[in-house]
Amino acid sequence: MPDLEDQLTALAPALEWPSTPNFLPFHREESAQARSSGLLLPTQWGGGAQRWRGLLLPIHREVSGEAGRRGRTLGRNRWALAAAAVFLIAALLLAYTPTRKAIAGWINLHTTIQRVEHPPTPSPLPSGPLGSQLGLGTPTSLSDAQAQLSWKITVPSSLGAPDVIYLQMPPVGPSGGEVTLVYASRSDIKVSGQTGVSVLITEARGKVDENFFYKVLGPDAHLESVTINGRPGFWISGSPHEFAFQDASGDFRQETLRLATNTLVFDHNGTIVRIEGDMTKEQALQIATSLG
Amino acid sequence: MEGRPADDSVLIARAVRGDSAAYEEIVQRYQQVAFRTAYVVTGSAPDAEDAAQEAFVKAFRALDRFRPDAPFRPWLLRIVANEARNRVRSSGRRQHLELRLAEGFRPGDAAPSPEAVAVAADERRRLLAMVNALSGDDRLVISCRYFLELSSEETAAALGVPEGTVKSRLSRALARLRPRVQEAANA
Repeated sequence: MPDLEDQLTALAPALEWPSTPNFLPFHREESAQARSSGLLLPTQWGGGAQRWRGLLLPIHREVSGEAGRRGRTLGRNRWALAAAAVFLIAALLLAYTPTRKAIAGWINLHTTIQRVEHPPTPSPLPSGPLGSQLGLGTPTSLSDAQAQLSWKITVPSSLGAPDVIYLQMPPVGPSGGEVTLVYASRSDIKVSGQTGVSVLITEARGKVDENFFYKVLGPDAHLESVTINGRPGFWISGSPHEFAFQDASGDFRQETLRLATNTLVFDHNGTIVRIEGDMTKEQALQIATSLG
Repeated sequence: MEGRPADDSVLIARAVRGDSAAYEEIVQRYQQVAFRTAYVVTGSAPDAEDAAQEAFVKAFRALDRFRPDAPFRPWLLRIVANEARNRVRSSGRRQHLELRLAEGFRPGDAAPSPEAVAVAADERRRLLAMVNALSGDDRLVISCRYFLELSSEETAAALGVPEGTVKSRLSRALARLRPRVQEAANA
């Protein structure tokens, strides 16, 4: 009898595998959608890999290194690119049908959105202070946080000074750093059962290809593109959606999924701002437009 | 050089410079092993498709950070397997991987007798049934090494463990399988 390892090796060509999908049409289809939405500027972008990269480019650029150079090249067109990117994700999500298990998409707001039929179960939040519960980083003051960042933290005038401020720097946070303003309670916005506070505002900057936020939307969550001060964003509402944040190694981990309430994500002068709370779209937009 | 496939490192360098055809060639080159690796991890073809698709996008985005002197396939398979494991974790269940024999498979031997073909097919069926009956971890390491024909390094990447662990896991899996095979052969 042949050796067991030889028998196993000989078994390999006899196996039946599910047919391998062709992954190239996916990319080409995405590129085609992007072109039709105006995201791509063929004369500027050139070949297909640049087109893929174009799909992944955020609307903000880091100021140094290759990312910065690329950003300057695209600077004039970034608003057009970003607006088109929002269009793209909306188109992808509209294409969602329950029969398709998952449609992955990404938009140029450093955010990956995945629409799934059966959302995963978030992990129980760890015990401890809010910062560690929600992965916000370490508590600090506005002036101390500002001293560590190369970009300006903006505070919404409609909410006033935050009750607590958290700072998250690399490698856990994005390369440009991330600040979260916590508003424990506000009379017109009830305390969220998901976060335990009225409003969370997260502001972040990073490199071109970094993803800050990862969201998993079930069939009952709604996504809508919005414009804030002429700049693109999106509003997620309805059923609480899953929100993943990065672990200490910088990876997005499913274990760190938590439920998020209604959320507005948008670009504010190159900073990605995320406003989360149990509030209406109008309330979120009012906060957004009051950012300094 | 016409007609000769380019080295991975050449394709990667071209892809980083913005040559879409280069990355397309990489995808074509590795899509089967990527998809099958994701399949043995998830046990589900749709999950494997999603995982491999996402992995190709992530690999593309990280291409400029890939070390040019490192082998590409283990790096890609690590991303693929991570994506596949994330899908298993997020769904909260792992599908039982049930490998099957292709209908009408004929080994390359010259004109075997019909009896020999029947016996060989029966032996393959029995052996595969024994592999399918192993625990998930044993089945996974055997599938990676013998059915996907991954190297130790690639299997380690696919399993998310050090290479030394692959060797010990494989040795234990074979030790559990061997007596069952021998028992069947003696029966």
